[in-house]
Order: sequence, then structure tokens, then C-alpha cells
Amino acid sequence: MATASETTLVTAHNESATKWWTRFLDPSERTLALLLLLPTALLLSLIIVYPVCRLVWTSFQNLSLTSGAPATFAGLENYALMLEDPVFWETTWNTVLITLITVPGALLVGMALALMANLPFKRKWPVRLSLLIPWALPLAFAGLIFAWFFHSEYGVVNDVLRRLGFEGVIWFNSAKWAFAAICLTIIWKTSSFMALIILAGLQTIPRSLYEAAEVDGAGRLRQFFEITLPLLKPSIVVALIFRTITALQTFDIPFTMTRGGPGTSTATLAMYIHQNTVDFLDLGYGSALAVVMFALSMGVTAVYLRMIRAKG
Amino acid sequence: MSHETTTNRSLLSGKPLRILIGFILVVNGMFPALWILFTSLKTEAELTAKPITWLPHAPTLANYLRAFTDQPLLLFLFNSFMVAILSTALTLFISVLAAYALARLQIRGRDLILSAIIAVSTFPLVTLLVPLFEIMRALGLLNTWIALILPYTVLSLPVCTLILVSFFEGIPRDLENSAMIDGCTRLGALFKVVVPLAAPGVFTAGILAFVNSWDEFLLALSFNSNPMLRTLPVGITLYQGEFAFPWPVISAALVVGIVPVAVLIVIFQERVVSGLTSGGIKG
Repeated sequence: MATASETTLVTAHNESATKWWTRFLDPSERTLALLLLLPTALLLSLIIVYPVCRLVWTSFQNLSLTSGAPATFAGLENYALMLEDPVFWETTWNTVLITLITVPGALLVGMALALMANLPFKRKWPVRLSLLIPWALPLAFAGLIFAWFFHSEYGVVNDVLRRLGFEGVIWFNSAKWAFAAICLTIIWKTSSFMALIILAGLQTIPRSLYEAAEVDGAGRLRQFFEITLPLLKPSIVVALIFRTITALQTFDIPFTMTRGGPGTSTATLAMYIHQNTVDFLDLGYGSALAVVMFALSMGVTAVYLRMIRAKG
Repeated sequence: MSHETTTNRSLLSGKPLRILIGFILVVNGMFPALWILFTSLKTEAELTAKPITWLPHAPTLANYLRAFTDQPLLLFLFNSFMVAILSTALTLFISVLAAYALARLQIRGRDLILSAIIAVSTFPLVTLLVPLFEIMRALGLLNTWIALILPYTVLSLPVCTLILVSFFEGIPRDLENSAMIDGCTRLGALFKVVVPLAAPGVFTAGILAFVNSWDEFLLALSFNSNPMLRTLPVGITLYQGEFAFPWPVISAALVVGIVPVAVLIVIFQERVVSGLTSGGIKG
């Protein structure tokens, strides 16, 4: 084949194109592209698109697997029920509060970690690993580890507090302290990813900008606010969008740390969806709750996108 | 060294301060894992001593033995490993095909398709718990690996596609064309020429997909209630009884669970960082 002249190559190609199986092996570019994208399309249809349609449909149904009764149309009944359900309001409020506390918290801590990690260390790997390990740790592991950290008797947090002369706190007996412990854990777990993103952004800022600012007599603080922060904005916004959407889905850490307790004071909307779906098998109500969460995260994305457009 | 430190002159360029900051970073990142390691080596008696000890005084491996005998920890590891490996393989296969189409072939609406795939990644999978539960139930897939492999593949598909598109675009077309003149089909050229040349990208995408699957908790908890099919993160929560929290045993199980991914991260740290920051999407 390699020695064949160009003309014979072309005719050979034309001949083979008439046979159906060679056409399958070497199809035209457009057909090939469609074929290559087909598995992605199929998978996304099965796991995302069809379930979304089904979710909305089920939220208008009475569908409880415990009764064994077939689904009946319920109209807005599930939604009406939700509005009068104090646990819905409590878990939604907890979710919003966790988002409002841990997203800015992770951003601030992540920024601090990134600025520290950007110093010219001789060995880079200990710092890099210190940012990667919290990221790679499963959220459920982080929840368990920090539940042990905050243990009232033998936890290292209370030990340090006592050594410093404070009273130990019984973290998981009060809603407030349990909530604080959960937020601290989430901030620790998620700030390292923020730091990695911000660090990558920091390393793209040319040194010359700082040198020029130095010549103009700008202080370090001014340099930070007028060079570093504006140039970091694109990477920060992207990280914030994903962090906010994952914060709205918070499940693993409160589930492993407190199981939502005491009572339902630290339960999140995701935990309530899980409870209604898997424990109570009330799929209609679980779906209605999920639609609310879906609306929340769409709202967040819309707000961020508007912010990007307004300032960009 | 000194001319390199232009961004961090004066105050912060002092060596002692830099060492201190490095120490803070390392403690922040490593201390929780280290503390769990210390706890796992303590005896029950030492654990309940007051004031608490930091380093284990009489290190013991008894907790590790109990971690493997109290619960089928090896089975949890096996389930997690198989689900993660299979979903990673599936993710890579599907995203290699898609990324090649997006990077190389002339298609209308290329950017639209790419952003549609990425938009999916911002979709909260929790909200699909009910319909996915119903679908898996209808297909008889509850309590199987497949019930997790399919959603996990979607979880990593956007990141992997994004990484692979950028890698494929960096490979010169001539290499592919000459392979095709040598009698390769387009798909043959993809798998014999393009994928091997993009190996670093494929590898990076693979590690991210593996970690994503290894970490997932909610779907694993919801779809596989059979204890024999528990993945590691879910299985580890089974050690805690209604009232008893055998912390040294839980810690030992946690250490066992941390080691595989930690090894992966230590070996491939630079690649993971580049993958995460080029298109990484994870909480």
C-alpha cells in the first residue's frame, strides 16, 4: 500500500467505498462524528435527561412504594405539603446557611493557602501534597475524621482548648456547636481545591506587573487588590460556581458527623431527599423536594452568570 | 534564589518565616490523616486515658486486625476498586471517542456540544436520586456494581472530555494522516496513534475519574443496601453501632481506605494538579 501511486490509492478507495462494511470502517467525517458522540449522548440521556423529565413528572404524583399502590396524579399536592412541612423549611434553611458560610469560608481559607503555597519553597512536593490530600480524601472520611476530632472527651480539638485554659465544648449535643463543627469540616475539606485553582491562577500573573507597581510605589496591599485580585477573578468565579453548587448538595459530611442531629437541626435538604426516597420510599414527595433543590442550583448558576456578564 | 523572590520580597522572603508557613500548610493538609493514623495504633485503654496522648505510647496493630474481621473490609475495598476501575475505563473510552470527534472532525455546533456536556457537570446528581433509583430498580440493577458505574461515568465524563479535547488538539494531524495513508482507518489511527501520543492526558483524566468514583457516597449508600455490595466510604460508616463508636477500629479502616488514593496522589501529584486546574470540577 505504501508504495502505491496516488491514483491507484484513490481508485482503491472508491471501490472499497461501495462495500457496506468498509463504509462502516471508514465512514464519512460527519457520520463518524455522530457515531463517536453517540455513546456520550446515550449515557447522558439515560442518566441525566430522561431522569430530569421523570423527576418533574413524579413530583406531581402520589407515589409511595410502601403502600404498593400505583402512582396517581396528585397535582400540586406534594408541593403544598412541602410548604407546610417544618422539616422541609429547616433542612432548606440549613442548606442555605451551610452554603452562605462555607463557600466564602473556603474562598478565604483557600486564598490564604494559595498565597502561602505560592512562596518560593525549595521543595515543592510537601506543599503540593498538603493541598492534594484534603481534596482526594472522600467527604465521608473527612466527616468521620472530624467527628473524632470534635469528640467531647477524647477529641484533639477539646484537648487543645483545655491546654489553652478553656472549657471543652460538647460539640454534638447542641445544634449550634454541631453546626459549627460541620461548617469547619466542610471549609477544611473544600478550601484546598479552591487553593489549587487560585494557585494555578497566581502562577499565570507575570512578575513584571508587580515590578512595575513597585516602581510606582504601590504597597503590597495595594498590589494585592489592584493586580492579584482582578487577574484572579476568572479562576475564582469558576471555582465559586462549582463550590456553591456542591455546597447546595451537602450530604456526606453532616451525615457521617451527626446524622442530622441533634433532632433535625443539622440535617440538609439532600439528607431529607435521601430519607424520603430511600427510607420512607415516598418517591413523589422526594421528587418535589429535589425539584426545589434543582431550582436553587439553577438560580445560583444564573446569578453567577449574570455577575460574570455584568462585570465582564 | 534571591532574584526569584520578587513577588515575595521584604517581610516574607525571610527564610525562617517561609519555613513556618510551609509548616502551617503541611499541618493543615496532613494533620487529620496523621491523627487518624496515631489513633489507629492506640489501644482502647490509651485512647480513654486522660489527658489524651498524642503519639501512641504502645503502638499496636490489633485495631487493623479488627477492622478486617468486624466488617468485610477487604470486600468493601474490592467493591470500591472494581466500581472505580470499571467506571474509569468506561469514562475514558466514551470520552476518548467524544473528544476525538470534538477536537478533529468538522462538525457544526462543536462549541455548543462541548458546553452542553460541561453544563451537565454542574447538574446536582442528588436531585436525580429519585428517578435514578426508580430506573435502577426497574432495570433490576439495585445492588449491583452497574447501578454505580453508570452514574459515576457521567460524574467524570465532562472533565475527562475537556482534558482530552485539549490534549488531542495538541497532536499534529500529519502523524494521523500518515497512519491513514499506511492503511489505518480513522478509528485505527485514533487508537494506534492519537491515544498513545495523548497518554499523559488520558492518564490524568483517568486519575481524576478514579478519585471521583472512589469518593462518591450518596448514590452508593442509596442504591446498594446489600452489605456485600457496599463500597468503602459507605462500608466504613457500618463500624459505628447505635451507641458504640469503636474509634481505633474506625481509624484503622480509614487508614486502609486512605492509603490507595494517597499512593496514587503521591506518585502522580503533578499530573493531578495540572488536570484539576485545567478543567477540574470537584467539591
